[in-house]
Amino acid sequence: MTMVTTINLDAATEESRWTLPQARGLEAANASIAAPLLERNRWNWLIWWIAFAASLAGSIVFFIAIYLIFSRGIGIWGVNTTIVWGFAIANYVWWIGIGNAGTLISAMLLLMRQPWRASTNRFAEAMTLFAAAIAGIFPIIHLGRPLYFYWLMPYPNTMHLWPQWRSALIWDFWAILSYILFSIIFWYVGLIPDFATLRDRARTKAPALIYGALALGWRGSAQHWHAYEVLHLALACLGVPLVVSLHSVVGMDFATSLMPGWQETIFPPYFVVGAMYSGFAMVVCLAALVRWGFRLEGLITIAHFNVMAKVMLMASIVMGLSYATEWFTAWYGGERADRGLLAFEFTGTYAPMFCTLLLCNVVIPQAFWFSPIRRSIATVFAIAVLINIGMWLERILIVWNTLSHDYTPSMWRQFLPTVWDWLTTFGSFAFFVLLYLVFVRLVPVVSMHEVRKLIAQEGPR
Amino acid sequence: MSKHAKSSGDIRRGEPPLEFDLDRRSALRLFVGGVAAALTSCGKPPEEIVPYVQIPERETPGLPLQFATALPLAGYGRGVIVTSVEGRPIKVNGNPRHPASLGSTDLYGEAAILSLYDPDRSKAPYSSKRIQSWSSLEAALRPRLDRHRTKQGEGLALLTGRITSPTLLAQIEALTKAMPLMRWYRYEPVDDDAVRGGAMLAFGQAATMLPRFRDARVVLALDADPIGFGPEQVRFAREIIEARRPRAPDESLRLYAVEPDWSLTGALADHRLALQPERIRNVAIEIARTLGAGLEEPGLPEEASQFAKTVAADLSARRGAALVLAGPRQPADVQALCHWINAQLLGPADFIAPVDRVATGHSESLRSLASEVRVGGIETLIVIGANPIYDAPGDIGFGDTVARVPFAVHIGCYRDETAERCTWHAPLTHVLEGWSDIRSFDGTASIIQPLIRPLYDSRDVHQILAMLQGELSASSLDIVRNTWKTAGGNDWDGWWRQTLQDGVVPNTASGKISLPEPRLPQVAPAAPAENYTLILSPDPSLFDGSMANNAWLQECAKPFTRQVWGNALHLAEADAHDLGMTDGDVVQLKRGEATLEAAIFVRPGQATRVISTTLGYGRTHAGSIGSGVGFDIYRLRQADTPWLSANVTISKTGRRENLLRTQHFFELEGEAEELQPRLTLADFAKGNRGDFKLNAPDANLPTLYPAPQYDTYEWAMAIDVSACIGCNACVVACQAENNVPVVGPEEIANGRDMHWLRIDDYVVDGRPGFTPMPCMHCEHAPCEPVCPVAASIHDSEGLNLQVYNRCVGTRFCESNCPYKVRRFNFFGYADGQEYANLGAEITKAVFNPDVSVRSRGVMEKCTYCVQRISGARREAEKEGRNVREGEVVTACQAACPTQAINLGNLSDPKANIHSLRTDARSYALLGNLGTRPRTTYLAHVRNPNPDFGKARR
Repeated sequence: MTMVTTINLDAATEESRWTLPQARGLEAANASIAAPLLERNRWNWLIWWIAFAASLAGSIVFFIAIYLIFSRGIGIWGVNTTIVWGFAIANYVWWIGIGNAGTLISAMLLLMRQPWRASTNRFAEAMTLFAAAIAGIFPIIHLGRPLYFYWLMPYPNTMHLWPQWRSALIWDFWAILSYILFSIIFWYVGLIPDFATLRDRARTKAPALIYGALALGWRGSAQHWHAYEVLHLALACLGVPLVVSLHSVVGMDFATSLMPGWQETIFPPYFVVGAMYSGFAMVVCLAALVRWGFRLEGLITIAHFNVMAKVMLMASIVMGLSYATEWFTAWYGGERADRGLLAFEFTGTYAPMFCTLLLCNVVIPQAFWFSPIRRSIATVFAIAVLINIGMWLERILIVWNTLSHDYTPSMWRQFLPTVWDWLTTFGSFAFFVLLYLVFVRLVPVVSMHEVRKLIAQEGPR
Repeated sequence: MSKHAKSSGDIRRGEPPLEFDLDRRSALRLFVGGVAAALTSCGKPPEEIVPYVQIPERETPGLPLQFATALPLAGYGRGVIVTSVEGRPIKVNGNPRHPASLGSTDLYGEAAILSLYDPDRSKAPYSSKRIQSWSSLEAALRPRLDRHRTKQGEGLALLTGRITSPTLLAQIEALTKAMPLMRWYRYEPVDDDAVRGGAMLAFGQAATMLPRFRDARVVLALDADPIGFGPEQVRFAREIIEARRPRAPDESLRLYAVEPDWSLTGALADHRLALQPERIRNVAIEIARTLGAGLEEPGLPEEASQFAKTVAADLSARRGAALVLAGPRQPADVQALCHWINAQLLGPADFIAPVDRVATGHSESLRSLASEVRVGGIETLIVIGANPIYDAPGDIGFGDTVARVPFAVHIGCYRDETAERCTWHAPLTHVLEGWSDIRSFDGTASIIQPLIRPLYDSRDVHQILAMLQGELSASSLDIVRNTWKTAGGNDWDGWWRQTLQDGVVPNTASGKISLPEPRLPQVAPAAPAENYTLILSPDPSLFDGSMANNAWLQECAKPFTRQVWGNALHLAEADAHDLGMTDGDVVQLKRGEATLEAAIFVRPGQATRVISTTLGYGRTHAGSIGSGVGFDIYRLRQADTPWLSANVTISKTGRRENLLRTQHFFELEGEAEELQPRLTLADFAKGNRGDFKLNAPDANLPTLYPAPQYDTYEWAMAIDVSACIGCNACVVACQAENNVPVVGPEEIANGRDMHWLRIDDYVVDGRPGFTPMPCMHCEHAPCEPVCPVAASIHDSEGLNLQVYNRCVGTRFCESNCPYKVRRFNFFGYADGQEYANLGAEITKAVFNPDVSVRSRGVMEKCTYCVQRISGARREAEKEGRNVREGEVVTACQAACPTQAINLGNLSDPKANIHSLRTDARSYALLGNLGTRPRTTYLAHVRNPNPDFGKARR
């Protein structure tokens, strides 16, 4: 199989390269990515099995919790008359935020001609797909009557009832649905040449047949590559506005309300940046794990962590600015409810969580100003985990703070999470891990053809 | 709340285990029978059934009927009109003809309907740990009664509550005539011994004072709570509020209150002074001295003394329209002194002979029964409708007493604490199930007519008395008719019919009596108490505890604390600070030998060195709802001074308890002033609004939305905050009308509740105030655009509706409701998971058939009683006209004793609602949000005495 690309004969300098010498070369790249899938016996899967068992157990807990939500009602959660939303909404926003990064990395970086995306886009896209799918579960199970979630769809019915189009939840429904469909298509299109590679490299019949079927008859002809490039680019052009609109709509779930702390025009862009931020943090975590688990040090290099840390640094500054803007407008607007809410954020029931979120999202990531910290996988990984925690806290506090402290002091109450709140949250995480483990075992974690292209562009060693 | 962790095993206790002894043949027989039953089970019953061809007289299926009757509270009647649907009473309304109702109700009256269908009601006689038949009770009783009869009733005793029923009194009299040595004791936990003693002391004869608040312009309540909970509440509240309706300051009633803890009167008062109960007499003395009484000068703190002097000046200035009231907690000499003061002030009050004719004090009566039992003088004790084992003052030791009676029979609605200790128990009918009669606090008699046949094998009091007289098959109707047979004149049947229709027996109100000039009692001033004083009052939710098994009352939030499902000790802020205690700390109370552990609430505005609490909790045998809720303060109650106990010590236990409340209190920064603005009458009369900013209802903010279109009616509500006394009648009325479920204490602890109408309690300047909060029915309702399935919609009459079966439960509407008036069914509260009675079939009978019972997972809220609007619209359409003013009355509006709530049609230019909305006091709650609420408020107005300078606490 050959690749239709120009080999760059003026080899790039070592500093500007995105691969290490041991992975350079088309066959080396193919081999290091395909080996775990095609040469299973040579690979030690023990840690994978342990992780699989743990995440399977967690996923079972997740589905038990969902069963109980259907059978006993959402009363098993800590939601109450005042704080009618809780973990489900926060989890939804968090997961959909994580679901943003894959598309951003693939599509936005593709359009911006950032070649380093080649080693990360596949597992980032998989992350997107699974996170978006899990995010899609939460708005359904959060309903009081989840059986009737399809009433949000405009389907013909005898009562001529249509959804209520002014509701941000309807926009949300379409945004998630189109985003999940897009993510599947984009991911699969990117996988077709790699499935063909796997088909061709397979040494036994079963993988050859399965990957062959998935490759949809890809032969690597120039016409195929041309069609692929056009489609991929077109999808990328579609994806970027979609990802921005998706999270803007999520922001509008709050912003189109009347509540202090929600009714803010900054919400759509602020939610998009927040989503990119948490998504990148999650990609960093997964990159570190994939690199370690599949010995892809040659393809996922320190340089990748360096550049992603820079993106996170930028995002953390934007987040900090967004928070400051919120506070400033609350104060400057002079509305009692807004000012009261601001005071409540810093001094109220959830103040320790609020301070933790500021620490995780704004203060600690400033360490990325320093090159040694950006270039150490351990510190980048640790800070990325903290950012994910901070972003989850941000989402839950957007819900809690406003609802706990709105216009009517007589109804000010607190949210007390129940065990089921925690189990649905951690259960969803376990389910994500489970899906991801299945993914890494069946599908090449790094896009082989794009890495080959990158290596070819960077020139010989 | 340990009690609420009940197992389903509890309800099965007492049933014999099923036993099967089957051989093959009988098993086959059963099987064949079962198959046959299964085949026919969905069809008609096997017996011939008769279709509803001949409709009972007056009954039109689907149309409710109204019957006038009366409900007792502490023995006095309140006239009501009960709505009955196809023979099933479902709602209690006020009776405008009745002097204790005036068309309104109180929360106890509204809740009575739930008690009727209480599955825990006693259903059969009970003795020797098993249910028995009435005939076996009669068989056990007859020889004993015969023996007593031969001894002229010696050894036989009757114990009842307060009795004002003319029929029952006649029956007791007849019984006493037959057995002169029979003793009749009576005990009512909410007594009036001190008040009665005061009249005796002042006038030398028993008399009941009935203040004429309409004629009063200055009223001083000395630990008195005329608008507080009790049989006179509706009448007095109506009169006081009417006398206070905003007009010129001199023409409006000015209310002063001196009290140790918060009462509804204290909350309403223009000036209130918190003072220890012992020292309230000093205020009375101070006032009497300014009126010329030669009494010793009382020592009062500067603030109190100044207060007393200013009030005295105001009272003296309004001679003829000034009144001083002393509450039942004050001893007889203070009561007598107030009578003397009123005589000097020519206070507008009438006196009648006591409606309760028994002269003996309640505690005294109970104590003499106890001592009679101890000396062995009582062989047979018949307790009718009373529960002294629970509610007797602890120092009488009544529990041990009953155990010594050889043969004690308890007849009551529940197998309660007393029933458990008696030899026999027999079920009494609910007041809505039998014939009787009752007098109100002013003597007006009403006939109690049954709305439904007794649900269980129970008997009413008249049948019981007849049984004691030896008549076994007496008809209560005949007995009651017999009492009134001389009253009707020539056309007796017509008179009787009319009386039943009216709900009031004409010309039965007690006539005024003329009394001698009251004597000036020699009242010595009191020094401040050294220790803590425990003061009690009837509970705002449960009253005396007899209604403890009523879940509507248990979940009705008390004024000031908003506590539900329990009671607490209330402590002044300063004391709590000294003792290092906060809300929820469990303390130990000690008086003499008696101790009690209970959690506290810190109550700003309460007098120091005072611990206050309410009666009615800590029941052990109330039923599945009421048992084990709260603590029983009756144990610490003293027979001599039932409403206060001096020398109580308090100490910390270190434990804490989660006290349940539906509103939590925070330090606010101006929200309360905005949500519950307060005006003074002087400013208001001058047209000067001071620093009071109101969102006038029609000052509409600009909007991008198209103007709403209404075709016929435009419903709107106006609530006068000045008139709201915080009595909760509307809350329970709404619950009864709209099938609003209770959620139970665990759910309250989770922050959930279902009341469609709540009372918001805001403290401004140290003074609590109440705002009823129904749905605002905003013209630009924030709940509507956010609902993805259009379950929250506006109708053509301006109502904001919730379509239950369209709701998927996103709860965005409640998130986005600035008033937080929507309620979500997190569980199936009304539909299968009813609290604690586990959805017993009978409780479904209470549902209003015009209102859907909501299922799990849907949002619900106030509808302005849309079913009543529809009913009025149907009637109007039948007659081809529009709905007239006053034809639609919401449940809360109908219940409100002070008529604070008004519903009207804005499309009718002549409707009264326009004047309420354009009134200078009118404001829209959070109107600055642009929601254009249809529910608007009239601001709270006080009438402070300018001599006080700034209005003080």
